[in-house]
Parts: sequence; C-alpha cells; structure tokens
Amino acid sequence: MTILSDTASVSHAIVANDLAKHYRVHRREAGISAALRSLFARRFETIRAVDGISFAIDPGERVGFLGPNGAGKTTTIKMMAGLLHPTTGTVTVAGHRPAARHHDFLRAITLVAGQKQQLFWDLPPVDTFELNRAIYDVPRAEYRQRLDELVGLLEIESVMQKPTRQLSLGERMKCELAAALIHRPALLFLDEPTIGLDIAMQATIRRFIADYNARHGASVLLTSHYMADVAALCPRVIVIDHGTIIYDGTLEALAQQLRPEKRIELRLTATANAPSAWDCGDRGRIVEREGTRIVIQAPQGVVKEILAQAIDELPINDLTVADAPLEEVLGALFDKAAADRQARDPDQTADTGKSVAIEKR
Amino acid sequence: MGYLRLLIQQLRMSILLALQYRLDFVVGALLSLIWIAAALVPLVVLFSQRSAVAGWRWHEALIVVGFFTALKGVLDGAIRPALQDVVERIRLGTLDYVLIKPADAQFLVSTTRFELFRVVDVVAGIALVVIALAYGGHWPSAAAIALCLLLLFAAALILYAIWIMVLCLAFIAVKVDNLSFLFASIYDAARWPAGIYRGVVSFVFTFVIPLAVMTTYPALALLERLSAQRTLSALATALVFALLARVAWLASIRRYTSAGG
Repeated sequence: MTILSDTASVSHAIVANDLAKHYRVHRREAGISAALRSLFARRFETIRAVDGISFAIDPGERVGFLGPNGAGKTTTIKMMAGLLHPTTGTVTVAGHRPAARHHDFLRAITLVAGQKQQLFWDLPPVDTFELNRAIYDVPRAEYRQRLDELVGLLEIESVMQKPTRQLSLGERMKCELAAALIHRPALLFLDEPTIGLDIAMQATIRRFIADYNARHGASVLLTSHYMADVAALCPRVIVIDHGTIIYDGTLEALAQQLRPEKRIELRLTATANAPSAWDCGDRGRIVEREGTRIVIQAPQGVVKEILAQAIDELPINDLTVADAPLEEVLGALFDKAAADRQARDPDQTADTGKSVAIEKR
Repeated sequence: MGYLRLLIQQLRMSILLALQYRLDFVVGALLSLIWIAAALVPLVVLFSQRSAVAGWRWHEALIVVGFFTALKGVLDGAIRPALQDVVERIRLGTLDYVLIKPADAQFLVSTTRFELFRVVDVVAGIALVVIALAYGGHWPSAAAIALCLLLLFAAALILYAIWIMVLCLAFIAVKVDNLSFLFASIYDAARWPAGIYRGVVSFVFTFVIPLAVMTTYPALALLERLSAQRTLSALATALVFALLARVAWLASIRRYTSAGG
C-alpha cells in the first residue's frame, strides 16, 4: 500500500492514508427465540467497512467511487465529509481533518445523498435555500446572484415556490442540489445523486454537475450505480470492494487492461439468417449468433480485417464496433478481486466476503 | 450575533410551517386551554376539603400550577418538538445534513422546530400566577420577581438538559419513545409543591430529576420565602445539568454512525 507523504496534502484537495472504519454491530439469527436470546446475550461482530485505503485527489478533479452495495463507498465519503470518525489512518480534506468539523472545512464542502433529503418537506425549497443562506452567512447580494445562476442552470424557477412534498422526484433532486450549493463549496460529495431518476433527468443532473465543476473548479466525488453517470462525469475511477481499493485510474485503462478486445456487432438484412457456417477464423471469436445478429469479439488490431471479410461475405444491413460494456469490465474486475482474496485466504468463502470477527457480550 | 440571526431564521421556518397548517394551529391552541382547565380540577377538589397542604395554602399552590403550566408550554413548544425531530433524523440518517453545516450542531438541532401554539400555555400559566397573587393580596417586590425569572430560566435549562441527555441515548438506542413518555409523566409531578413529597421520592425530585427546583423554587422566590442557600443550589444544579448535557452531546456526536447506505 502506498503511503503518501504529509507534504502532499498541501497541493491535494484530499489525501487519505491507510484509512479504515470498523463497525461493531449486533447480530442475531432470524426468529423470535433468537430475538429473545439476544436481549440477554448479544453477539457482536466487527465489520471492516473500509479497510486501509490510500489515495489523493487534486483540486478540480472529478472522481467516481465504484463498487457493489456494502463495498465501503458511502462510509469513505462520510469519513471525508467529517460525519464518521476513522477507526485508524488519516484523511485530510481541504487542509483539514474532517472529523474535527472545523467551520472553515464545513464551508468548503457539500454533501448530496440521493436517498436522503435536506429540504423541508412541508415548505417550498426556497425557504430551505434561505435557511442555508443564514447558516452559511452568505451576503444577500451574493445569495441573489448565486441563486439566479443555480435557478437558471437547473431550471427550477417555477418549482421552488411550491411545497417540496408536491414536487416530482426529479424536481426535488434539482432543488436538493441548489440547496447544497448556495455556499459555493469547493468540494462536492455526491452519493447516488441520480438514484431513481429517469434517463433525461439523469442527463440533466450530469450536465449540471460537469458545468459546476468547470465554472468553479470544484472537486467532485461521485458514487453511482448508473455506469453512465460515472462514464460521463469521471475521468478517474476508484473501485472499492470489501473495503479495499482494487483499482484507481481511468476507465479506458481499466477496460484496456481487463477487456482489451473490441465488440463487433453485425446486423444482416432481415431476410438473411446468419449462416451458421460463417466465421472469421482465428482472428476473433463469435460470442453471439442469433437470428440476423452476429457479435464478434476481437483484438483492436484485426478489427479492420474482420470487417472487410464480413462486408465481402455477408449481406450486412448495419454494424457497430464498441468497447466491452462497463458493467462487464467491472464484473471482470470484481471476479478477479474475489479470486485474489480466495488465493490469499482460502478459509474465506468468496461470496460472504466481509472479514468479520465475532465476539460475545 | 450570528447565532441570534440564525435563531430568528429558524423561528421564521416554524412560523411558516404553522401558517402552512392553520387549522392544526387553532385546534392545538384550543386543546391546550382544555387541558389547563382539566389540570386545575384536582387542585380545586383537594383545597375544597382542607385549607392548607404541607404548609401551602390554596393561592400559593396555584402559583406552582401556574409555573408548571408555563414551563410545560416551554417544554412542549420549544424543547420537545426539536429534539423529537432529531430522533427522527438519527433514525433516517438525515442528521448528516445538520452535522455538515458550519454552525454548532447542538444549537442547530435544538432550534430546528418550535410549536408556536404552546404560547397559549405560557400565557395561561402566567395568568394563573397573577390570579393567585391577586387572591393572596400581597404583590412581590421587583427583586423577588427578578429572582423568580432567573429561577424559571434555570428550570427551563434543566428541562432542556434532561431532554438533550434523553436524545443522546437515541444515538445508541435509536428509538427512545418510551423514555420520553416516561419523562413526560414524571414531569407531571411538578404540578404539586415539592413539600408534599416525602422520603426517597423527595430525594429523587430534588437531586436526580430536580422537579422541586423547576416549579416550587420560583414560586417560593415569588412568595419571598426562598433561602439564599436554596437559590444558589438551584442555579448550581442548572449549571451542572447544562454541562452534563453538553458533554453527553459531544460524546454522542463522536459515536454517531449515520444510517443508510
């Protein structure tokens, strides 16, 4: 594990060194008798939600945190936002130790979680904006100007006067973003900001975040289950699995590393069924052959030759060449990580994953 | 100065909420009046049988009931709604949004919600005290009134501190509904002058949950019967409770684990 030097924190927006968070949780079996037993003798176990991660993020960088549910993404974000105290290790954000919750630090960051809302349910969003203005002590003139900018970009002019409970999920999310950005933070922690939104609204939110990043040079840390969010917004991804970092770099490099082959999809004219005899020799491998559709996987270097052969020999209606889907690339990465863990510690079953220690109290 | 502005802003939110639900406001105020009237019944019944209870005459006991009613208004209007709101936030994990704000988190959560119709209790409580004084025929000096107000402030501080400590338990236990019901019913005992309680109960109500300090001492101050020693001990109790609450709060924030993914 790389340990970054202390001086690095001066130029970086965020530096995490061997950061870990372990929880003690109460665990019991299902059913009434187990529940009754647990009233008297509770079994506790330690869950290593985040288990020694190190990374550095520069000002203005957009970084995506990826990983399955329970991988430790949100716990990491909460430690960076000062909500959780790390069990061991250190993290420095904007030159501060987040858990100290220094007001200068809190003014520099914001947090938006798609599953939790800060807007007052019974009041129009504009009242929450006004409250945040008072909390962050934003001068009136500046508040007006910032609000105008946010309202224009997010197109919430007509909705911000209606009670929050009457807004659609998309409208509410846009207002959540506005409420979180009134103080113009330099660091955005976004935890699943597009969850539950339709495709068009997801795109709107993405555009807005990219725009905010470009205008104000703010760093953006994003977790999302929608690969499209991450692919569109984050040149760099940090993949977390079982509390440890299993990849840190660009998505392209990851795809190159794990799925270097291209996908060629051929669609034949409607009348012609894919001839079962056709193949492209040992240049590539046919991964799907169904009706009028053939999908070939092949190294970048031979794509041109395969295309030439196909156009020559088949009645082609349409064709596409693409990288392997991101979901598949990540799936391959998690499989590889699971295999590595298994190799290191054969006692641990691959699927239960989380390293736990059980004690009785 | 910043915190005063923030308090005004938080009050503004509560006023907006109250205006959003006007009917609720009116019904709440009417219910308050009914409960105050109902609470007077046992007192009336008791003093129709005898002229004094544990050295307290009818109009003197009425002062205690007046302060009990006013403080109940403060508790239900300014302390409990906000802190119940926090319990809900802990359960849902939205306390995150309070903790990332650059202001004292205890201040923010304590001022987040006011139930304005409880003003009715405060006004009615003060009215009861004035009626009781008029009945007694002896008006207190300015110094006695000042001391009484100081002791009422100390009483509100103790109520607030107890609630903060109940709230701190919510960080560990998540659900504290029963504990808050328990406290609400214990507080009910403060409607009687502390002198009527004996033995263990008297000890508990003086030192553990200082109900005596809350309503009986301000009444004694107004009647110019409170010793300097008791005054000082009441103020010291309030200070100790406030400090304990602050320490408990800071410890709770440290072990806050947030909720949700």
